[in-house]
Amino acid sequence: MQSHLLLDLAKAGHRMPIGTHLVLAGQADHEGILLDGKRLGKVTIAAARRFRTPLAVPLMDLTLEKAALLRAGGVPEQEIDSFHFTHTPTVPAPIPLTPRMEATCAAIAEVAREGDLVPIGMCIGPFSLMTKLVADPITPVFLAGTGVTAGEDQELALVESALAAAEAVIGRFVDAQIAAGAKAMIVCEPAANRVYFSPRQLEESYATFERLVIEPMRRLKGRLDAGKAALIFHDCGELTDGMVDRFARLGAAMLSFGNSRNLWEDAARVPDDIVIYGNLPTKRFYSAELSVAQVEELAQDLVRKMHATGHPFILGSECDVLSVPGAEQEIWGKVDAFMRCGCGGMSARRVT
Amino acid sequence: MTTHEQLEQAVIAGKSKDAKALTQQALDEGSRPADIVDHVLVPAMTVVGDRFKCGEVFVPEMLVAARAMKESMNLLEPRLAAAGVTPKYTAVIGTVQGDLHDIGKNLVAIMWKGAGFRVVDLGTNVPPAKFVAAVQQHQPQVVGVSALLTTTMPAMAKTVTALRAAGLPVKVLIGGAPVTQHYADEIKADGYAPDAASAVDVALRVIAA
Repeated sequence: MQSHLLLDLAKAGHRMPIGTHLVLAGQADHEGILLDGKRLGKVTIAAARRFRTPLAVPLMDLTLEKAALLRAGGVPEQEIDSFHFTHTPTVPAPIPLTPRMEATCAAIAEVAREGDLVPIGMCIGPFSLMTKLVADPITPVFLAGTGVTAGEDQELALVESALAAAEAVIGRFVDAQIAAGAKAMIVCEPAANRVYFSPRQLEESYATFERLVIEPMRRLKGRLDAGKAALIFHDCGELTDGMVDRFARLGAAMLSFGNSRNLWEDAARVPDDIVIYGNLPTKRFYSAELSVAQVEELAQDLVRKMHATGHPFILGSECDVLSVPGAEQEIWGKVDAFMRCGCGGMSARRVT
Repeated sequence: MTTHEQLEQAVIAGKSKDAKALTQQALDEGSRPADIVDHVLVPAMTVVGDRFKCGEVFVPEMLVAARAMKESMNLLEPRLAAAGVTPKYTAVIGTVQGDLHDIGKNLVAIMWKGAGFRVVDLGTNVPPAKFVAAVQQHQPQVVGVSALLTTTMPAMAKTVTALRAAGLPVKVLIGGAPVTQHYADEIKADGYAPDAASAVDVALRVIAA
């Protein structure tokens, strides 16, 4: 991806949701599309056209990597959703891509063939995948923060081996998406948050957070660099300032945070050449409690505050906007409302 | 400090090994298991819950405290059962069908156990029929229904409808990141807990109503 594209989009007052699921939900045969790369690519393209963005964002489905890892390990299909490792996982090399992953890659290739859109890939972050692989990740992570080692605690040893397995399968999927034409990768690390890491413990030290979240992310960034794909880092969890500081140093092209963050305050923590994306409360769009007028007001307020910081910013959603059966019109109405937001162009401090 | 006080502190601090040893010590000293639960463990978890509510401790500290309490309860439960002591309230809890998230649900279960409830945890991805069957089997006073995703919230409405259709005299409490009081009213749930820390108060309120 051209390094200045996101900065230029920000400068031009760009706005867009992560909204491919909304477009997919409007199609017949959803399940069939998920397994058909060409049709899935058409949906991604349709979403980009619908939201008037050059960024072709795929579905945010953070179950693919766990499924691939467990399938490779011989876990029966019907147990994959609820399966947790109780012993050190064995990871075959190479890990075969699942049909859903292959369709995702084929969809990226379809977008690439379109020519005028930026094909973007998607994956879960290593730490977040690890949390899906063990029954209780929080307690051993906390114990690690107290100085307990994997040699002393079996659950912590399991966390560390699951994290290594997570990195392996994510790396495989990322490479495949880059090979298919992805020019940027949205890495979703929602579990790196204040639920999994005690803020009280973090006041003492971020060493465990660095070891279990940041170091795997740095290795993933190296992989993206080798494939010339930009990092778009997404974390919609509740974060501490220290977490934001560390994410800001990952070398991402864009950072996307959840609605719990005041992005105008985070702007001071993020280097000027990194676009900030977000963070309208799209998880509440399904509810009539939040009106279209309120969404417009929130959007304008956020844009005004970000404009005041001068930081490159793209107005968007706090996470992927999921289509909720029965609330489709409610959600679309609010997405359209913020897309109509009279954002105007924004000047950025160091963007030329 | 008495053994009871030491045990309370061990649970609050999440020191599992100490909690186990101190529970055994209290039993050896002649403490009644029910007294240990009522006068040590429940107050300890109340302290943890209060600290969580006011932001002094966070989820990990709650989990390690719950783990310490569990170590203690492992020693006490067989004795309580043998003495015919049963908890005052029973709760059934689960995450709705289609949703695999369990942290919020687990935290509520911890808070309820900490308040002395017997908790039947159905896990995640629980179909409405399984909630109904569990309520018929365990006859709880309250059912906790959790969802993290907006896409799985409609399953909450189906669960409430199924419980009502079965004519079961149980109060239904819902919670989860996208859930609101408005949504609880809309689907005719009896209560809404905005967070795990308030789940005990809400449960006691709807049970008493």
